Amino acid sequence: MRIGIVCPYAWDIPGGVSAHVHDLAIALNRLGHEVSVLAPAENDEALPSFVQSSGKPRAVRYNGSVARLSFGPVTALRVSKWIEEGQFDVLHVHEPLAPSISVLACWSAKGPIVATWHSSMDRSRVLLSLVKLARTAMEKISARIAVSDAALTTLREHIGGDALIIPNGVDISSFDNAKPLEGWPGDGKALVFLGRVDEPRKGLEILINAYPAIRAKNPNIRLLIAGPGDCSELVSTLSTENAASVTQLGMIDDDQKATVLASGSLYIAPNTGGESFGIVLLEAMATGTPVVASNLAAFSRVLREGHAGMMFNNEDSSSLAAAVNKLLQDESAQQKLTAAGHARAAQFDWSIVAHQIVEVYESVRVEGTVVEPDLTGQMLGRLGKFRITPEREEIE
Amino acid sequence: MNTHSWQFIAFVATCVWYLSTQAGRLDRLHHRIDVAQAALDTHLARRAGIVAEIASSDAFDLVTAAMLAQSAHDALSSGELEEDHRREAESDLTNVLCAALDDVDELDLTDSVQRALMAELQQICGRVVMSHQFHTDAVTDCVKIRRQFLVKVLFLAGRAPMPKALDFQDQVPAALAK
Repeated sequence: MRIGIVCPYAWDIPGGVSAHVHDLAIALNRLGHEVSVLAPAENDEALPSFVQSSGKPRAVRYNGSVARLSFGPVTALRVSKWIEEGQFDVLHVHEPLAPSISVLACWSAKGPIVATWHSSMDRSRVLLSLVKLARTAMEKISARIAVSDAALTTLREHIGGDALIIPNGVDISSFDNAKPLEGWPGDGKALVFLGRVDEPRKGLEILINAYPAIRAKNPNIRLLIAGPGDCSELVSTLSTENAASVTQLGMIDDDQKATVLASGSLYIAPNTGGESFGIVLLEAMATGTPVVASNLAAFSRVLREGHAGMMFNNEDSSSLAAAVNKLLQDESAQQKLTAAGHARAAQFDWSIVAHQIVEVYESVRVEGTVVEPDLTGQMLGRLGKFRITPEREEIE
Repeated sequence: MNTHSWQFIAFVATCVWYLSTQAGRLDRLHHRIDVAQAALDTHLARRAGIVAEIASSDAFDLVTAAMLAQSAHDALSSGELEEDHRREAESDLTNVLCAALDDVDELDLTDSVQRALMAELQQICGRVVMSHQFHTDAVTDCVKIRRQFLVKVLFLAGRAPMPKALDFQDQVPAALAK
Protein backbone atom coordinates (compact mmCIF):
# COMPACT_ATOMS: atom_id res chain seq x y z
CA MET A 1 0.00 0.00 0.00
CA ARG A 2 1.21 3.57 -0.64
CA ILE A 3 0.67 5.65 2.46
CA GLY A 4 1.15 9.41 2.84
CA ILE A 5 1.61 10.58 6.42
CA VAL A 6 1.43 14.23 7.50
CA CYS A 7 3.21 15.30 10.67
CA PRO A 8 2.31 18.87 11.75
CA TYR A 9 5.26 19.42 14.10
CA ALA A 10 8.93 19.96 13.24
CA TRP A 11 10.65 16.73 12.30
CA ASP A 12 14.08 17.59 13.72
CA ILE A 13 12.91 18.61 17.19
CA PRO A 14 11.98 15.71 19.46
CA GLY A 15 8.32 15.58 20.36
CA GLY A 16 5.58 13.04 20.95
CA VAL A 17 3.79 13.40 17.64
CA SER A 18 6.87 13.46 15.41
CA ALA A 19 8.31 10.47 17.26
CA HIS A 20 5.01 8.64 16.74
CA VAL A 21 5.06 9.41 13.01
CA HIS A 22 8.72 8.38 12.71
CA ASP A 23 8.17 5.02 14.38
CA LEU A 24 4.89 4.40 12.57
CA ALA A 25 6.57 5.06 9.21
CA ILE A 26 9.36 2.61 9.99
CA ALA A 27 6.97 -0.04 11.32
CA LEU A 28 4.78 0.30 8.21
CA ASN A 29 7.85 -0.04 6.06
CA ARG A 30 8.74 -3.27 7.85
CA LEU A 31 5.25 -4.55 7.11
CA GLY A 32 6.01 -3.96 3.42
CA HIS A 33 4.20 -0.68 2.76
CA GLU A 34 5.55 2.34 0.92
CA VAL A 35 5.50 5.40 3.13
CA SER A 36 6.11 9.09 2.48
CA VAL A 37 6.07 11.57 5.37
CA LEU A 38 5.49 15.31 4.98
CA ALA A 39 6.72 17.40 7.91
CA PRO A 40 8.18 20.82 8.64
CA ALA A 41 11.97 20.67 9.02
CA GLU A 42 14.74 23.11 9.94
CA ASN A 43 17.34 21.28 7.93
CA ASP A 44 16.36 19.59 4.67
CA GLU A 45 19.61 17.72 4.23
CA ALA A 46 19.44 15.77 7.47
CA LEU A 47 16.06 14.18 6.64
CA PRO A 48 15.71 10.43 6.11
CA SER A 49 14.77 9.41 2.55
CA PHE A 50 11.09 8.85 3.35
CA VAL A 51 10.55 12.37 4.74
CA GLN A 52 9.81 15.45 2.66
CA SER A 53 10.04 18.93 4.12
CA SER A 54 7.04 21.25 3.95
CA GLY A 55 9.21 24.26 4.83
CA LYS A 56 10.84 25.78 7.88
CA PRO A 57 8.81 25.60 11.10
CA ARG A 58 7.88 28.64 13.18
CA ALA A 59 7.56 28.58 16.95
CA VAL A 60 3.99 29.04 18.13
CA ARG A 61 2.57 28.83 21.62
CA TYR A 62 -0.20 26.31 21.33
CA ASN A 63 -1.98 24.01 23.77
CA GLY A 64 0.21 25.21 26.64
CA SER A 65 3.51 24.40 25.01
CA VAL A 66 5.73 25.72 22.25
CA ALA A 67 4.94 23.95 19.00
CA ARG A 68 6.93 24.24 15.83
CA LEU A 69 4.48 24.35 12.96
CA SER A 70 4.64 25.48 9.38
CA PHE A 71 2.21 27.42 7.24
CA GLY A 72 2.22 30.05 4.53
CA PRO A 73 1.66 30.08 0.75
CA VAL A 74 4.83 28.12 -0.05
CA THR A 75 3.83 25.47 2.44
CA ALA A 76 0.33 25.21 0.96
CA LEU A 77 1.83 24.66 -2.49
CA ARG A 78 4.25 22.03 -1.25
CA VAL A 79 1.41 20.17 0.45
CA SER A 80 -0.71 19.95 -2.68
CA LYS A 81 2.28 19.03 -4.82
CA TRP A 82 3.21 16.25 -2.39
CA ILE A 83 -0.35 14.88 -2.56
CA GLU A 84 -0.41 15.05 -6.34
CA GLU A 85 2.91 13.29 -6.77
CA GLY A 86 2.36 10.78 -3.99
CA GLN A 87 -0.49 8.80 -5.57
CA PHE A 88 -1.32 7.53 -2.09
CA ASP A 89 -3.84 4.80 -1.39
CA VAL A 90 -4.44 6.36 2.01
CA LEU A 91 -3.61 9.76 3.49
CA HIS A 92 -2.94 9.70 7.23
CA VAL A 93 -2.90 13.11 8.97
CA HIS A 94 -1.83 13.60 12.56
CA GLU A 95 -3.24 16.10 15.03
CA PRO A 96 -5.61 17.62 12.45
CA LEU A 97 -6.65 20.43 14.80
CA ALA A 98 -3.19 21.98 14.96
CA PRO A 99 -3.13 25.06 12.68
CA SER A 100 -0.69 23.46 10.33
CA ILE A 101 -0.04 21.25 7.31
CA SER A 102 -2.35 18.51 8.61
CA VAL A 103 -5.40 20.64 8.11
CA LEU A 104 -3.98 21.96 4.82
CA ALA A 105 -3.51 18.40 3.62
CA CYS A 106 -7.15 17.58 4.42
CA TRP A 107 -8.20 20.69 2.56
CA SER A 108 -6.28 19.87 -0.55
CA ALA A 109 -6.99 16.15 -0.78
CA LYS A 110 -9.89 13.98 -1.80
CA GLY A 111 -10.16 10.27 -1.07
CA PRO A 112 -9.59 7.95 1.90
CA ILE A 113 -8.23 10.09 4.75
CA VAL A 114 -7.39 8.74 8.21
CA ALA A 115 -6.71 11.14 11.09
CA THR A 116 -5.10 10.56 14.48
CA TRP A 117 -5.80 12.74 17.53
CA HIS A 118 -2.93 12.92 20.01
CA SER A 119 -3.48 15.67 22.56
CA SER A 120 -5.92 16.16 25.27
CA MET A 121 -6.74 19.84 25.46
CA ASP A 122 -9.30 22.02 27.12
CA ARG A 123 -11.62 24.15 25.06
CA SER A 124 -9.59 27.14 24.02
CA ARG A 125 -10.35 30.13 21.88
CA VAL A 126 -7.72 29.39 19.29
CA LEU A 127 -8.89 25.88 18.86
CA LEU A 128 -12.57 26.79 18.61
CA SER A 129 -12.00 29.36 15.88
CA LEU A 130 -9.95 26.77 14.10
CA VAL A 131 -12.62 24.12 14.51
CA LYS A 132 -15.09 26.30 12.63
CA LEU A 133 -12.55 26.97 9.92
CA ALA A 134 -11.41 23.42 9.72
CA ARG A 135 -14.88 21.89 9.76
CA THR A 136 -14.75 21.31 6.04
CA ALA A 137 -11.45 19.55 6.38
CA MET A 138 -12.73 17.46 9.30
CA GLU A 139 -15.73 16.37 7.27
CA LYS A 140 -13.45 14.76 4.72
CA ILE A 141 -11.83 12.45 7.23
CA SER A 142 -13.08 8.91 6.66
CA ALA A 143 -11.66 7.27 9.78
CA ARG A 144 -10.65 8.75 13.09
CA ILE A 145 -8.16 7.32 15.56
CA ALA A 146 -7.47 8.63 19.05
CA VAL A 147 -4.33 7.55 20.87
CA SER A 148 -5.98 7.65 24.28
CA ASP A 149 -9.25 8.21 26.12
CA ALA A 150 -8.16 11.79 26.78
CA ALA A 151 -7.55 12.44 23.09
CA LEU A 152 -10.93 10.90 22.31
CA THR A 153 -12.60 13.23 24.81
CA THR A 154 -10.95 16.21 23.11
CA LEU A 155 -12.24 15.04 19.75
CA ARG A 156 -15.76 14.48 21.06
CA GLU A 157 -15.91 17.88 22.73
CA HIS A 158 -14.56 19.87 19.82
CA ILE A 159 -16.03 18.29 16.73
CA GLY A 160 -18.30 15.51 17.97
CA GLY A 161 -18.49 11.97 16.72
CA ASP A 162 -16.50 8.93 17.68
CA ALA A 163 -13.13 7.35 17.04
CA LEU A 164 -11.24 4.12 17.45
CA ILE A 165 -8.67 4.05 20.22
CA ILE A 166 -5.30 2.77 19.06
CA PRO A 167 -2.54 3.60 21.54
CA ASN A 168 0.95 4.83 20.81
CA GLY A 169 3.61 2.25 20.06
CA VAL A 170 7.11 1.76 21.37
CA ASP A 171 9.98 0.26 19.42
CA ILE A 172 10.93 -2.19 22.14
CA SER A 173 13.96 -3.56 20.28
CA SER A 174 15.75 -0.19 20.32
CA PHE A 175 15.28 0.19 24.08
CA ASP A 176 15.50 -3.18 25.75
CA ASN A 177 19.23 -3.64 25.23
CA ALA A 178 20.24 -0.04 25.89
CA LYS A 179 23.57 0.49 27.68
CA PRO A 180 23.76 3.28 30.26
CA LEU A 181 26.18 6.23 29.94
CA GLU A 182 29.71 5.54 31.16
CA GLY A 183 29.67 5.61 34.97
CA TRP A 184 25.88 5.87 35.35
CA PRO A 185 23.82 5.29 37.45
CA GLY A 186 26.79 4.57 39.75
CA ASP A 187 26.85 3.35 43.35
CA GLY A 188 25.02 6.38 44.74
CA LYS A 189 22.03 5.82 42.41
CA ALA A 190 20.72 8.36 39.91
CA LEU A 191 17.47 9.94 38.80
CA VAL A 192 16.70 10.79 35.17
CA PHE A 193 14.46 13.54 33.80
CA LEU A 194 13.75 13.78 30.08
CA GLY A 195 11.73 16.52 28.39
CA ARG A 196 11.69 20.20 27.51
CA VAL A 197 13.16 21.77 30.62
CA ASP A 198 11.76 25.26 29.99
CA GLU A 199 8.19 24.05 29.71
CA PRO A 200 6.30 24.29 33.01
CA ARG A 201 3.90 21.42 32.31
CA LYS A 202 6.80 19.00 31.99
CA GLY A 203 7.24 19.56 35.71
CA LEU A 204 11.03 19.86 36.16
CA GLU A 205 10.39 22.43 38.88
CA ILE A 206 8.48 19.84 40.95
CA LEU A 207 11.46 17.52 40.75
CA ILE A 208 13.99 20.25 41.61
CA ASN A 209 11.90 21.21 44.65
CA ALA A 210 11.78 17.58 45.76
CA TYR A 211 15.49 17.06 45.20
CA PRO A 212 16.85 18.38 48.55
CA ALA A 213 14.57 15.97 50.46
CA ILE A 214 15.74 13.10 48.24
CA ARG A 215 19.42 14.09 48.74
CA ALA A 216 18.89 14.18 52.49
CA LYS A 217 18.02 10.46 52.47
CA ASN A 218 20.35 9.48 49.62
CA PRO A 219 23.42 11.70 50.03
CA ASN A 220 25.28 10.36 46.98
CA ILE A 221 22.42 10.42 44.50
CA ARG A 222 22.82 12.27 41.21
CA LEU A 223 20.32 13.83 38.80
CA LEU A 224 20.57 13.61 35.02
CA ILE A 225 18.54 16.18 33.05
CA ALA A 226 18.14 15.78 29.30
CA GLY A 227 16.03 17.84 26.93
CA PRO A 228 16.07 21.11 25.02
CA GLY A 229 16.03 24.42 26.91
CA ASP A 230 18.04 26.02 29.69
CA CYS A 231 17.39 25.06 33.30
CA SER A 232 20.41 26.66 35.01
CA GLU A 233 18.12 29.14 36.76
CA LEU A 234 16.05 26.33 38.27
CA VAL A 235 19.15 24.40 39.29
CA SER A 236 20.67 27.51 40.90
CA THR A 237 17.84 27.47 43.47
CA LEU A 238 19.54 24.37 44.93
CA SER A 239 22.39 24.55 47.43
CA THR A 240 25.87 24.48 45.87
CA GLU A 241 26.44 20.90 46.97
CA ASN A 242 23.09 19.68 45.60
CA ALA A 243 23.52 21.64 42.38
CA ALA A 244 26.92 20.03 41.86
CA SER A 245 25.25 16.60 41.65
CA VAL A 246 23.05 17.69 38.75
CA THR A 247 24.21 16.93 35.21
CA GLN A 248 22.58 18.73 32.29
CA LEU A 249 22.89 17.10 28.90
CA GLY A 250 20.84 19.63 26.90
CA MET A 251 19.06 18.45 23.79
CA ILE A 252 19.74 14.83 22.93
CA ASP A 253 18.98 12.97 19.71
CA ASP A 254 16.81 9.89 19.42
CA ASP A 255 19.74 7.48 19.46
CA GLN A 256 20.87 8.79 22.85
CA LYS A 257 17.41 8.59 24.37
CA ALA A 258 17.60 4.90 25.26
CA THR A 259 21.08 5.38 26.73
CA VAL A 260 19.92 8.28 28.87
CA LEU A 261 16.84 6.41 30.09
CA ALA A 262 18.97 3.39 30.96
CA SER A 263 21.40 5.60 32.93
CA GLY A 264 19.03 6.17 35.84
CA SER A 265 18.13 4.03 38.81
CA LEU A 266 14.71 5.63 38.45
CA TYR A 267 13.02 7.61 35.70
CA ILE A 268 11.02 10.57 37.02
CA ALA A 269 7.99 11.96 35.11
CA PRO A 270 6.71 14.94 37.14
CA ASN A 271 4.48 16.25 34.29
CA THR A 272 1.64 18.41 35.56
CA GLY A 273 -0.89 18.03 32.75
CA GLY A 274 -1.63 18.17 29.04
CA GLU A 275 -0.28 14.65 28.53
CA SER A 276 -2.60 12.33 26.69
CA PHE A 277 -0.47 9.23 26.76
CA GLY A 278 3.08 9.21 28.12
CA ILE A 279 5.11 7.28 25.60
CA VAL A 280 8.38 8.15 27.33
CA LEU A 281 7.20 6.15 30.35
CA LEU A 282 6.90 3.07 28.14
CA GLU A 283 10.34 3.75 26.68
CA ALA A 284 11.88 4.01 30.13
CA MET A 285 10.10 0.81 31.15
CA ALA A 286 11.43 -0.92 28.03
CA THR A 287 15.02 -0.09 29.06
CA GLY A 288 14.31 -1.65 32.45
CA THR A 289 14.40 1.58 34.45
CA PRO A 290 11.56 1.76 37.01
CA VAL A 291 9.27 4.78 36.57
CA VAL A 292 8.04 7.27 39.16
CA ALA A 293 5.31 9.43 37.63
CA SER A 294 2.69 11.99 38.64
CA ASN A 295 -0.80 10.52 38.92
CA LEU A 296 -2.22 12.03 35.72
CA ALA A 297 -5.03 9.92 34.26
CA ALA A 298 -2.97 9.09 31.19
CA PHE A 299 0.07 8.00 33.22
CA SER A 300 -2.05 6.01 35.59
CA ARG A 301 -3.43 4.02 32.68
CA VAL A 302 0.00 3.36 31.20
CA LEU A 303 1.34 2.30 34.61
CA ARG A 304 -1.75 0.17 35.29
CA GLU A 305 -2.71 2.23 38.35
CA GLY A 306 0.73 1.80 39.84
CA HIS A 307 1.34 -1.90 39.09
CA ALA A 308 3.95 -1.11 36.46
CA GLY A 309 5.42 2.02 38.05
CA MET A 310 5.26 4.18 41.16
CA MET A 311 2.86 7.14 41.27
CA PHE A 312 2.83 10.34 43.34
CA ASN A 313 0.36 13.20 43.77
CA ASN A 314 0.51 15.60 40.84
CA GLU A 315 2.32 18.92 41.51
CA ASP A 316 3.29 17.72 44.99
CA SER A 317 7.07 17.80 45.53
CA SER A 318 6.94 16.20 48.97
CA SER A 319 4.85 13.33 47.64
CA LEU A 320 7.43 12.84 44.87
CA ALA A 321 10.31 12.88 47.37
CA ALA A 322 8.52 10.35 49.57
CA ALA A 323 7.83 8.03 46.63
CA VAL A 324 11.45 8.17 45.43
CA ASN A 325 12.91 7.64 48.90
CA LYS A 326 10.62 4.70 49.57
CA LEU A 327 11.44 3.02 46.27
CA LEU A 328 15.22 3.58 46.50
CA GLN A 329 15.28 1.78 49.85
CA ASP A 330 13.48 -1.27 48.53
CA GLU A 331 15.64 -3.23 46.10
CA SER A 332 13.05 -5.97 45.51
CA ALA A 333 10.30 -3.44 44.75
CA GLN A 334 12.58 -1.93 42.10
CA GLN A 335 13.17 -5.33 40.55
CA LYS A 336 9.45 -6.04 40.55
CA LEU A 337 8.74 -2.74 38.80
CA THR A 338 11.46 -3.44 36.24
CA ALA A 339 9.84 -6.76 35.35
CA ALA A 340 6.29 -5.42 35.37
CA GLY A 341 7.34 -2.36 33.36
CA HIS A 342 9.03 -4.49 30.76
CA ALA A 343 5.97 -6.67 30.32
CA ARG A 344 3.71 -3.63 30.10
CA ALA A 345 5.89 -1.94 27.48
CA ALA A 346 5.90 -5.08 25.30
CA GLN A 347 2.13 -4.75 24.87
CA PHE A 348 2.74 -1.49 23.03
CA ASP A 349 5.40 -2.65 20.59
CA TRP A 350 5.09 -0.90 17.23
CA SER A 351 4.72 -4.16 15.31
CA ILE A 352 1.43 -4.73 17.14
CA VAL A 353 0.23 -1.13 16.94
CA ALA A 354 1.14 -0.62 13.27
CA HIS A 355 -0.79 -3.75 12.36
CA GLN A 356 -3.94 -2.32 13.94
CA ILE A 357 -3.46 0.93 12.03
CA VAL A 358 -3.06 -0.94 8.74
CA GLU A 359 -6.41 -2.60 9.42
CA VAL A 360 -7.95 0.88 9.59
CA TYR A 361 -6.29 1.82 6.27
CA GLU A 362 -7.62 -1.37 4.73
CA SER A 363 -11.13 -0.67 5.89
CA VAL A 364 -11.30 2.79 4.29
CA ARG A 365 -9.41 2.39 1.06
CA VAL A 366 -10.82 1.25 -2.23
CA GLU A 367 -8.78 -0.82 -4.65
CA GLY A 368 -7.90 1.18 -7.75
CA THR A 369 -8.52 4.67 -6.38
CA VAL A 370 -5.87 7.00 -4.95
CA VAL A 371 -5.94 10.20 -2.92
CA GLU A 372 -6.36 13.07 -5.38
CA PRO A 373 -5.73 16.80 -5.10
CA ASP A 374 -8.91 18.78 -4.42
CA LEU A 375 -8.98 22.17 -6.13
CA THR A 376 -11.88 23.74 -4.25
CA GLY A 377 -10.23 22.65 -1.05
CA GLN A 378 -7.01 24.37 -1.99
CA MET A 379 -8.82 27.65 -2.56
CA LEU A 380 -10.58 27.31 0.78
CA GLY A 381 -7.23 26.46 2.29
CA ARG A 382 -5.81 29.76 1.15
CA LEU A 383 -8.81 31.61 2.58
CA GLY A 384 -8.27 29.80 5.83
CA LYS A 385 -4.65 30.85 6.07
CA PHE A 386 -5.54 34.54 6.00
CA ARG A 387 -7.67 33.97 9.02
CA ILE A 388 -5.24 31.80 10.92
CA THR A 389 -2.33 34.18 10.66
CA PRO A 390 -3.62 37.10 12.79
CA GLU A 391 -4.85 34.63 15.38
CA ARG A 392 -1.34 33.24 15.57
CA GLU A 393 0.31 36.60 16.04
CA GLU A 394 -2.12 37.44 18.78
CA ILE A 395 -1.02 34.53 20.91
CA GLU A 396 2.69 34.80 20.26
CA MET B 1 -23.76 54.03 -6.50
CA ASN B 2 -25.18 54.86 -3.11
CA THR B 3 -24.44 53.11 0.18
CA HIS B 4 -27.63 51.03 0.02
CA SER B 5 -26.80 49.39 -3.24
CA TRP B 6 -23.26 48.59 -2.00
CA GLN B 7 -24.74 47.05 1.07
CA PHE B 8 -27.11 45.06 -1.10
CA ILE B 9 -24.27 43.84 -3.32
CA ALA B 10 -22.22 42.88 -0.28
CA PHE B 11 -25.22 41.01 1.14
CA VAL B 12 -25.83 39.12 -2.08
CA ALA B 13 -22.13 38.30 -2.41
CA THR B 14 -22.04 36.95 1.14
CA CYS B 15 -25.12 34.84 0.49
CA VAL B 16 -23.64 33.43 -2.72
CA TRP B 17 -20.36 32.69 -0.97
CA TYR B 18 -22.13 31.00 1.94
CA LEU B 19 -24.34 28.90 -0.32
CA SER B 20 -21.45 27.85 -2.51
CA THR B 21 -19.41 26.70 0.49
CA GLN B 22 -22.41 24.72 1.76
CA ALA B 23 -22.78 23.14 -1.67
CA GLY B 24 -19.07 22.36 -1.66
CA ARG B 25 -19.33 20.71 1.75
CA LEU B 26 -22.24 18.61 0.57
CA ASP B 27 -20.31 17.53 -2.48
CA ARG B 28 -17.34 16.44 -0.37
CA LEU B 29 -19.54 14.59 2.12
CA HIS B 30 -21.34 12.73 -0.64
CA HIS B 31 -17.96 11.81 -2.07
CA ARG B 32 -16.83 10.51 1.32
CA ILE B 33 -19.97 8.38 1.57
CA ASP B 34 -19.35 6.94 -1.89
CA VAL B 35 -15.76 6.02 -1.02
CA ALA B 36 -16.83 4.51 2.31
CA GLN B 37 -19.56 2.49 0.64
CA ALA B 38 -17.22 1.22 -2.07
CA ALA B 39 -14.78 0.10 0.64
CA LEU B 40 -17.53 -1.57 2.64
CA ASP B 41 -18.84 -3.32 -0.44
CA THR B 42 -15.37 -4.67 -1.26
CA HIS B 43 -14.91 -6.04 2.25
CA LEU B 44 -18.36 -7.64 2.28
CA ALA B 45 -17.71 -9.34 -1.06
CA ARG B 46 -14.35 -10.57 0.24
CA ARG B 47 -16.00 -11.85 3.41
CA ALA B 48 -18.60 -13.82 1.45
CA GLY B 49 -15.85 -15.18 -0.79
CA ILE B 50 -13.84 -16.45 2.16
CA VAL B 51 -16.93 -17.96 3.79
CA ALA B 52 -17.66 -19.83 0.55
CA GLU B 53 -14.09 -21.15 0.54
CA ILE B 54 -14.30 -22.20 4.17
CA ALA B 55 -17.63 -23.90 3.50
CA SER B 56 -15.99 -26.08 0.88
CA SER B 57 -12.92 -26.86 2.97
CA ASP B 58 -14.19 -29.63 5.30
CA ALA B 59 -13.71 -27.39 8.32
CA PHE B 60 -17.37 -27.81 9.30
CA ASP B 61 -19.97 -30.52 9.35
CA LEU B 62 -22.17 -30.90 6.29
CA VAL B 63 -25.16 -28.90 7.58
CA THR B 64 -23.08 -25.92 8.77
CA ALA B 65 -21.08 -25.97 5.55
CA ALA B 66 -24.29 -25.94 3.51
CA MET B 67 -25.69 -23.04 5.54
CA LEU B 68 -22.47 -21.08 5.14
CA ALA B 69 -22.27 -21.76 1.41
CA GLN B 70 -25.91 -20.79 0.88
CA SER B 71 -25.70 -17.53 2.84
CA ALA B 72 -22.41 -16.58 1.18
CA HIS B 73 -24.01 -17.19 -2.20
CA ASP B 74 -27.07 -15.12 -1.23
CA ALA B 75 -24.89 -12.23 -0.07
CA LEU B 76 -22.90 -12.26 -3.30
CA SER B 77 -25.93 -12.40 -5.57
CA SER B 78 -28.37 -9.94 -3.97
CA GLY B 79 -27.48 -6.73 -5.74
CA GLU B 80 -26.46 -3.41 -4.24
CA LEU B 81 -26.11 -2.42 -0.60
CA GLU B 82 -28.94 0.11 -0.94
CA GLU B 83 -31.37 -2.75 -1.50
CA ASP B 84 -33.04 -4.23 1.54
CA HIS B 85 -32.64 -7.85 0.54
CA ARG B 86 -28.89 -7.44 0.06
CA ARG B 87 -28.53 -6.09 3.60
CA GLU B 88 -30.78 -8.87 4.89
CA ALA B 89 -28.52 -11.35 3.14
CA GLU B 90 -25.45 -9.77 4.79
CA SER B 91 -27.16 -9.89 8.21
CA ASP B 92 -28.05 -13.53 7.59
CA LEU B 93 -24.47 -14.31 6.68
CA THR B 94 -23.28 -12.62 9.88
CA ASN B 95 -25.78 -14.59 11.95
CA VAL B 96 -24.90 -17.92 10.33
CA LEU B 97 -21.20 -17.15 10.87
CA CYS B 98 -21.84 -16.29 14.51
CA ALA B 99 -23.79 -19.50 15.00
CA ALA B 100 -21.06 -21.55 13.33
CA LEU B 101 -18.23 -19.87 15.19
CA ASP B 102 -19.68 -19.23 18.62
CA ASP B 103 -17.10 -21.40 20.32
CA VAL B 104 -13.56 -21.70 19.05
CA ASP B 105 -12.84 -24.75 21.19
CA GLU B 106 -15.26 -26.85 19.18
CA LEU B 107 -13.31 -26.09 16.05
CA ASP B 108 -10.49 -28.49 15.37
CA LEU B 109 -8.37 -26.83 12.73
CA THR B 110 -5.51 -29.17 12.00
CA ASP B 111 -5.26 -28.17 8.38
CA SER B 112 -2.95 -25.20 7.72
CA VAL B 113 -5.09 -24.05 4.79
CA GLN B 114 -8.14 -23.92 7.05
CA ARG B 115 -6.21 -22.00 9.68
CA ALA B 116 -5.08 -19.50 7.08
CA LEU B 117 -8.66 -19.08 5.84
CA MET B 118 -9.89 -18.58 9.38
CA ALA B 119 -7.21 -15.93 10.04
CA GLU B 120 -8.24 -14.17 6.86
CA LEU B 121 -11.90 -14.33 7.90
CA GLN B 122 -11.04 -12.82 11.27
CA GLN B 123 -9.22 -9.96 9.57
CA ILE B 124 -11.97 -9.26 7.08
CA CYS B 125 -14.72 -9.36 9.73
CA GLY B 126 -12.84 -6.67 11.65
CA ARG B 127 -12.54 -4.57 8.50
CA VAL B 128 -16.27 -4.93 7.78
CA VAL B 129 -17.11 -3.63 11.27
CA MET B 130 -14.75 -0.66 10.89
CA SER B 131 -15.76 0.37 7.38
CA HIS B 132 -19.44 -0.01 8.30
CA GLN B 133 -18.84 2.36 11.22
CA PHE B 134 -16.96 4.84 9.01
CA HIS B 135 -19.79 4.79 6.47
CA THR B 136 -22.34 5.50 9.19
CA ASP B 137 -20.18 8.40 10.47
CA ALA B 138 -20.06 9.91 6.97
CA VAL B 139 -23.83 9.58 6.57
CA THR B 140 -24.43 11.24 9.94
CA ASP B 141 -22.21 14.19 8.98
CA CYS B 142 -23.95 14.59 5.64
CA VAL B 143 -27.52 14.30 6.93
CA LYS B 144 -26.80 17.05 9.46
CA ILE B 145 -26.23 19.51 6.60
CA ARG B 146 -28.93 18.11 4.35
CA ARG B 147 -31.49 18.88 7.07
CA GLN B 148 -30.57 22.58 7.20
CA PHE B 149 -33.46 24.80 6.12
CA LEU B 150 -31.68 26.70 3.33
CA VAL B 151 -30.08 23.57 1.96
CA LYS B 152 -33.50 21.94 1.68
CA VAL B 153 -35.34 24.97 0.28
CA LEU B 154 -32.69 25.87 -2.31
CA PHE B 155 -32.07 22.28 -3.44
CA LEU B 156 -28.33 22.68 -2.75
CA ALA B 157 -27.90 18.93 -2.85
CA GLY B 158 -29.42 18.76 -6.32
CA ARG B 159 -31.01 15.44 -7.13
CA ALA B 160 -28.76 13.42 -4.87
CA PRO B 161 -30.94 11.14 -2.72
CA MET B 162 -30.82 11.63 1.05
CA PRO B 163 -28.02 9.33 2.24
CA LYS B 164 -29.06 6.54 4.57
CA ALA B 165 -27.10 4.50 7.04
CA LEU B 166 -26.80 0.92 5.81
CA ASP B 167 -28.41 -1.07 8.52
CA PHE B 168 -27.26 -4.67 8.85
CA GLN B 169 -25.69 -7.00 11.39
CA ASP B 170 -21.92 -6.91 11.24
CA GLN B 171 -20.61 -8.30 14.52
CA VAL B 172 -17.47 -10.41 14.58
CA PRO B 173 -18.19 -14.03 15.61
CA ALA B 174 -17.21 -14.79 19.21
CA ALA B 175 -14.54 -17.28 18.22
CA LEU B 176 -12.81 -14.68 16.04
CA ALA B 177 -13.23 -11.64 18.27
CA LYS B 178 -9.85 -11.71 19.88
